[in-house]
Parts: sequence; C-alpha cells; structure tokens
Amino acid sequence: MISPFPPAFLFILGALLIPLLKGKLKQAYLLIMPAIAFFDIIKLSPDMSWSYSFSGYNLVFCNVDRLSLIIGYIFLIIGFLAIMYSIHVREDGQHIAAFLYIGGSLGVVFSGDFFSLFAFWEIMAVASLFLILYQRKKESLSAGLRYILMHIAGGCSLLAGIILYTINKGSIAVGVIEPNAAYWFLLLGIGLNTAFIPLHTWLPDAYPEGTVTGSVFLSVFTTKTGVYVLARCFPGVEFVAYMGGIMALYGVIFALLQNDARRLLSYHIVSQVGYMVAGVGVGTALAVNGAVAHVFNHILYKALLFMCIGSVIYMTGKRKLTEMGGLARFMPVTTITCIIAALSISGAPGFNGFISKGMILQSIVEAHRPVLEIMLTLASIGTFLSFIKLGYFAFFSRNYDMKSKEAPVNMQLAMMLTAFACVLIGFFPGILFKVLPYQDIPYHPFTPSHIVGVIQLFMLAGASFILAKAMVVPHNAVILDFDYFYRMAGRGLIWVCMVPLNALRKKFQLFSSVTVSIISRLAKNPVSTIEIPIAYVYQRITKGTRYTGGYSSSDTFNENLYRRPVGAGIFFAIILFLAFVLVYFVF
Amino acid sequence: MALAVLSIPIGFFVEHEHAVFPWHRIPSFEAIFGFFGTFVFIFATVLLSSFAQKKEDFYD
Repeated sequence: MISPFPPAFLFILGALLIPLLKGKLKQAYLLIMPAIAFFDIIKLSPDMSWSYSFSGYNLVFCNVDRLSLIIGYIFLIIGFLAIMYSIHVREDGQHIAAFLYIGGSLGVVFSGDFFSLFAFWEIMAVASLFLILYQRKKESLSAGLRYILMHIAGGCSLLAGIILYTINKGSIAVGVIEPNAAYWFLLLGIGLNTAFIPLHTWLPDAYPEGTVTGSVFLSVFTTKTGVYVLARCFPGVEFVAYMGGIMALYGVIFALLQNDARRLLSYHIVSQVGYMVAGVGVGTALAVNGAVAHVFNHILYKALLFMCIGSVIYMTGKRKLTEMGGLARFMPVTTITCIIAALSISGAPGFNGFISKGMILQSIVEAHRPVLEIMLTLASIGTFLSFIKLGYFAFFSRNYDMKSKEAPVNMQLAMMLTAFACVLIGFFPGILFKVLPYQDIPYHPFTPSHIVGVIQLFMLAGASFILAKAMVVPHNAVILDFDYFYRMAGRGLIWVCMVPLNALRKKFQLFSSVTVSIISRLAKNPVSTIEIPIAYVYQRITKGTRYTGGYSSSDTFNENLYRRPVGAGIFFAIILFLAFVLVYFVF
Repeated sequence: MALAVLSIPIGFFVEHEHAVFPWHRIPSFEAIFGFFGTFVFIFATVLLSSFAQKKEDFYD
C-alpha cells in the first residue's frame, strides 16, 4: 500500500521526467499522471497534513477538507482532458509548463499556510507565462510581458499582506482574515488573480495570445485558484459580493463588442468569475456551495469553449469572428460541442451552468440583496446574447471562401468528453452535490418557475436581439479597457527614463569623462597643462561648442548595453542566495 | 421553439417558490426583464463603442 503524496509534487517533480521520454511512451505518461494524481487525492484524508517546521513556522503542504478536495478533483479532471487535447504537441517545453502550472495550482489549493501558498502562487504565474510565450509571435511576447508584470505586482502585494498578517497574528495558517492593513494587501493580491475590475486587464490581454492548447490551461487555473483562496480568506465580505456583480456585468458588456474569438471568451471568464466572487461575497452556506459548484461547472464549459475555438484556430488559422463563418459544414463535432458549451455557460436547463447559477441566485435572494440579483440576471442575458453572436459568426454565417477539416482525433475526443461532462452534470446534479463543501443544504434546481423563467429570459432576449442584430456585427477594432491607463502610465515611465533621466546621466557621464581625461593627460605629460585652456578657448571661439576631450554626448540610449551587467548581478545574487539556503539547510 | 413561446402563458401558472422581492410576484416577469435587458445591453455597447472603439493598430 503506497501512502498518498501531496499532488502538487507529483506534477512538479513529474515535469522533470517529460524530456527523458519519447513518442508514444511520453504521451502515455502525460495522460497517466493526472489519473495517478486523482487516485492520490481520493486517498487523502484530513489527518495527513504533510506539515514541516520551518524557522518557527509550520508549513502545511496538504490541507485536506471538502473545499480543497472538490477543487482538486476538477483541476485533475480538466488537467486530464486538456492534456488529452494537447497530446499532439511535440514541444516538450509546453508540456512541462502545463505540468508545472497544474502542480502550482494544486499546491495553492492544498497548502495550509501562506508561505507555501505564495511559493506555489508564483510557480503558477511563471509556468503560465510560458504557455503564452510559446506562441512565438511578437504580440504574445509583449502580452506575456504585460501579463507577468501585473502578476509580479499582484504577487508583491500578496507577499506584503502575508508578512503583515504574520507579524500581527504570529501564525501563517490560511484562514479568514480580519480587517486590518494586511487585509487590503491580501485582497489586492488575490483580487488581481481573480480579475477584480480594474485589475483584470491581464486576462483579456494575454489569454487570446497563448498557444492554442495553452489557452485551455490558462482559462482554468489562475482565476479559479483566486476564487478558492478568496473563499478561504474572505467569505461574506460585502465589498467582494458587489465586486462580483460589477465583474459579471462589465465582462459581458466588453465581451459583446469583441472581434477576436478568444478575447470574447476571456471577457466571459471575467464575467463568470464575477458570479463566483458574488457567491463568495454573500458567504452563506448555499452561496459558497453555489460559488464552488460554479467553479466546477465553469471550468468544464469554459475549457470546452477554448478547446472549440482553439481547434478552429488550429485548423483555419483565423482568430477573428469577421474572418470565420460557415464552419458548421466542415467541423460538425466542434460546432455541436461549442453549442453545448454555449448553452452551459448561458445557463440553459439541462446543462451544468443552470445548476450552479441557480444556486448562486437563490442564495442572493435568500440573503436579501436585490441589486445583486438584478446585476447577475442582467449579466446572464448578456452572456446568452454574446454566445448567439459567437456561435452565429463562427459557425453559421455565410463565408464561401472557408474550407477546413475537422480537428485531430485527440482534440475531438477531449471536446466530446468535456461536453459529455457538462450535460451529465446538467441532468444529474446529484453527482456534483455529493462533493460540495457544505453538506445537507437543500437546493432543488429543477423547479417549474426556475425553468420557465430561464426559458422566457432567453426567448425574449433572443427575439429582441434578432431585431438589433446590426448592432453586434463584429468590427475590426479594439475596445479600449482600463489597460489604456496602465499602458499610458508605462509609456510615461519609459519617457521619464529615456528623456530627462537619460539626459541627466549623459551630463554626469560627460562631466566625469572629461575630468578623467584631463587628469590622465596631466599625469602623462604635465607640460601639456597649458594646452588644455588653449584648446578650450580655441574650440569655444571657432566652433562655439564645449571642449569634451574627444568624448561625445550624442550617443543614444541603448537598452541592451545596460541589460547584461544587471542580468549578471541578479544571476550572482541568486547563486549566492542558493548557496545560503544550502548552507542553512545542511548545517 | 414552440415550448419557448408557450413559456409565457405557462409563466402565469407557475408561482415563484421563494417570492422575496416584489418582482418575483409579477407573472412572466423574466420575459419582460429579458426584453428590456437586451436593450440595456445594446445601449451600453453603443455607448461604450462610441468612445472606446479604436482602430486595431491603436497601441502600435
């Protein structure tokens, strides 16, 4: 009998083996790992904590309860399906990044202390970056840079919060946070990963630029670990509840205007995560159950949507809705699974979104928050509208130039299995209810008024949408978001460095070079002292410029000239730090 | 589709189990909400695109 092992390390250590394997063996290994990890977490029980004492604090790698288990289950289910979807990728680096990303997220979910949570949080940020960079295009490189800059800022805020929390409380155990200074830093750091408005800009910026298969992973882990940590640390916070409502509406309004298919889906992540955040913010047992159920369902249908649009991009190379169309004839499997996913995300009866959205709305009504109910119901109308738009313009609009084949078998299989899971939970929600964090909370999804209400909502929305179709035809355009301000601030910062600061640097450099040249000249030949004032006066009179001793100040700023020494400095600092850690642990 | 059209008259016969807010008691309220909600979105998107919609190379 093998005893269970923290699932995060299965993936993080397992990633090291990927480059050693080849061909079919590697593919088998990639698919077997999530299955092993799944059986591993089934065997976990709350008394196994894998805790270590580290300089007076307790590091807990396996904090097992119902909340961490359900998130662990869905992460492994979707990990398996997404790996199946990407099994044809030959580049080892992408698989390694995906493994580290899954490992990091599982680490966050199961860690019982803030230190290891932070470490896994950063592993996630860095690993996910590579899923964007492997697209190897100029746009993805710059989007990746913006992505990691924002995540580093969020990580710093989280770390500051953790340090303040530890100083105040003397313990690093993850738990509900009381309002003090640490509270806001933690909320900011977690909120950035959860795509709080206006910190969400990294999400619709970077996710559409990822690789076809990488975006499927991206759509799952970062925001959902954020929701999980929010549910651990900030349940029942009023601000969080209304932030959820704002996110739900904001995301969907921007989604309606997008032309890039994956950017449309990315704004829907913001919107759907808004539902979960609202549920966490309401904080009653039913609301948290609803939020966690929505995490579970959302992961399934959102990954499926990214798979469907990914296979369209993979087969046709087109990523804009204006260039797609008429694909239903060529890609029946993709079309049907995409419709299933669209109905699931809209919350149509018989699909999984119906169950969890209903739970969240019910809990909001029970908690007497009328404004929030209206916001979320309105957002579900918008969701339905934008998926009519996506489905119509991607698969059914007329485009006679379009020719394509169906996606590779592994992609089709992954899409079919994920779609099956969406419908299965839609009809048999009992499977999901069994693993929810709070037990014995009565909720009946299939009441007549709920079903009739949702059908009415969609029917009238769809009808008035057809009247106003001209309004939503996709255009070749960008819609400015809050990232406009961040980008302008970034440009301002670069301008300050390049123009005034660089001018100052050049002045100092010139002054010191001239001084040094004069001194060295004196040292070489004291007799020539007299020549300097003569040369100085001569130059002033004849040319009207300053004597510079042969140095010019016109050299422009070359960023690469200064990058290498800084890089070398950081490299040596890391080596020194590793040596210190080694010495610390060995002796 | 027929089922969808029928849902409005049906809406007059099903009662909301947890009628908490006043609008839960209006029969077929969701239909009204869905109709006007769409116009809210159309208005919001037109308003947003009037000032935030730029050419694709805006940031380059």
